[in-house]
Amino acid sequence: MNNADLQISTYVISIMARDRVGIVADVSKNISELGGNITDIRQRVLCGYFTMILLISFPAGITQAAILTKLAEGSESDLDIQVKPVLEKVSLPANNYPENTYVLTVTGSDQIGFVAHVSKFCKENQINILDLSTTSKADQYIMILFIDLTKAEDIDLIRVRLNQFSMKTGFRVSLQHYNIFRAVNEIDLPIV
Amino acid sequence: MIQPDEFLETVDMIQKENLDVRTVTMGINLLDCHRESVKDTCNAIQNKIKKYAAHLVETCDNVSSEYSIKVVNKRIAVTPIANVGAGFDASGFVQIAHALDDAASSVGVDLLGGFSADVANGTSGGDLALIASIPQALTETKKVCSSINVGTTRYGINMDAVVLLGKTVKALADASAAQGGFAAAKFVVFTNQPGDNPFMAGAIHGMDQHEVVINVGVSGPGVIARALERKIAKSGAQNLGLQDLAEVIKHTAFRVTRCGELIGRQVANALKIPFGVVDLSLAPTPNVGDSVGEILQILGVDSVGAPGSTAILAMLNDAVKKGGVFASQSVGGLSGAFIPVCEDKILAEAVRDGSLTIEKLEAMTSVCSVGLDMIAIPGSVDAATISAVIADEMAIGIINGKTTAVRLIPVPGKEAGDFIAFGGLFGESAIMPIRNTGKSSRFCNFGGKIPAPIHSLRN
Repeated sequence: MNNADLQISTYVISIMARDRVGIVADVSKNISELGGNITDIRQRVLCGYFTMILLISFPAGITQAAILTKLAEGSESDLDIQVKPVLEKVSLPANNYPENTYVLTVTGSDQIGFVAHVSKFCKENQINILDLSTTSKADQYIMILFIDLTKAEDIDLIRVRLNQFSMKTGFRVSLQHYNIFRAVNEIDLPIV
Repeated sequence: MIQPDEFLETVDMIQKENLDVRTVTMGINLLDCHRESVKDTCNAIQNKIKKYAAHLVETCDNVSSEYSIKVVNKRIAVTPIANVGAGFDASGFVQIAHALDDAASSVGVDLLGGFSADVANGTSGGDLALIASIPQALTETKKVCSSINVGTTRYGINMDAVVLLGKTVKALADASAAQGGFAAAKFVVFTNQPGDNPFMAGAIHGMDQHEVVINVGVSGPGVIARALERKIAKSGAQNLGLQDLAEVIKHTAFRVTRCGELIGRQVANALKIPFGVVDLSLAPTPNVGDSVGEILQILGVDSVGAPGSTAILAMLNDAVKKGGVFASQSVGGLSGAFIPVCEDKILAEAVRDGSLTIEKLEAMTSVCSVGLDMIAIPGSVDAATISAVIADEMAIGIINGKTTAVRLIPVPGKEAGDFIAFGGLFGESAIMPIRNTGKSSRFCNFGGKIPAPIHSLRN
């Protein structure tokens, strides 16, 4: 590690709460008062519950405990907060997905174990899930997964296994390269 | 950020609506293949095609598998062969056609276009020899397609050639009488023929093109039809104006074009050859749900050919271009909706039911590409009448500064109302009645040329 790395420490912070006005304002105010720099944020509200995950660089010497105490300050004490130091060197936010990013959509009737089935399939095939959301449409439960196939075996084999998975579970699946979605939905063409 | 609905809509387009790439066509310049003898010329042609196109099909299949987007046809277009074989006689050109057919088979492409000549302002010896060879060449080969450009807005119409080609069409049909005159389905007469069109039977690799290039034809009309149906179901027909539906066509054409451009560029990159153009043409197939005629019905005419058909087709054609031209860096080829009767189930049904006549089709071709396409007519129609039908269609092209074409199949032994099936992509249809036959001979006998229109003088 060089000196510059020693000067700062990076933490990942997750916040969960019943949604209300002002959570982001409260949290970011406290972070800035500690001298923290927000590198990246993901925030979602699901069914009235707020969740946020932040990547923050603090000046050297700011401890995990100090961050926890400060974040609880001034807010309505309704936040579930987790703070973890980031051990590896952090590269800048990955706004771009890897080249081998595919979009897997899985559609079927809503049932217990739906997500478990799909994620088990991904795990068994060395497929890393980069982003995941679900939606429902006319009684059908739909999972949209951004997956990285860099570590997986070749695409044709994955397709064969996906077909078997589809036959076994009755779920309808589709596996398309992310570039197709970008090409037909965004202004820029995603290739040279 | 792409929204979940957009993901699902895109997945539906690919899975349920057959969003695909209709053709990836490799254009190859063969001008440097002329040798002293026909045999050596044939060898040079085959070597050059194999050199460039050996991995075309495999590469298309790989990209297709990576993206899970089907590339339906893989094809080759070559330099108009009249220029390559000039100096040989008709039998020499027949041998060249065989060489092209063998090369196409050995690299595994579906069809090869470019057994062609440009006679817009006059016919050279090489052009005449090629034209003389066409009936035998197309009857004896499987994959070779032929086209002749008989006019341009700049030069007018070469009527001597039009008269000759009316006879060629008859000869093609007669030579392949056992197959219902099928050889005529591989032959098309053009005006203002583009040199970068990836669609058959009229694909050529123009004299002004790259050494080798990849051009792409986008997905068919089915995707547009389904998008229109979705919109009407969602919003209610009573709440929509035609401008709203034109907007749906435009947006869908953007997506379809993007898909074609992405796949085409990936193929070109993998083969390390330049990417040429995306051709926006909506090319129907005989499959259910892949019909331009169906779009006309969705947009409000109960029978194709009923009044309103031309207006709707004009709007469709224009909206497709507006969506496509923004989506692609380089749009070219024909880029308009095709109305090939045999290849379009709904158009073929309209001919069978008598709602669509050749006169209405002629009117419709003035607002779209490409012309009177894949129309089976009675085998008894005389050559002069066929030439006159060609001349009428060519006139629409040169006066309006657009491409038009004629691909008629005078089916031997069949009369109006009979039925013919060519199979596969070439489809099937009832035989279209041709009125007023035998009344155009005096016109054809004049021959010569129809002079260039006044707006050819643009300097």
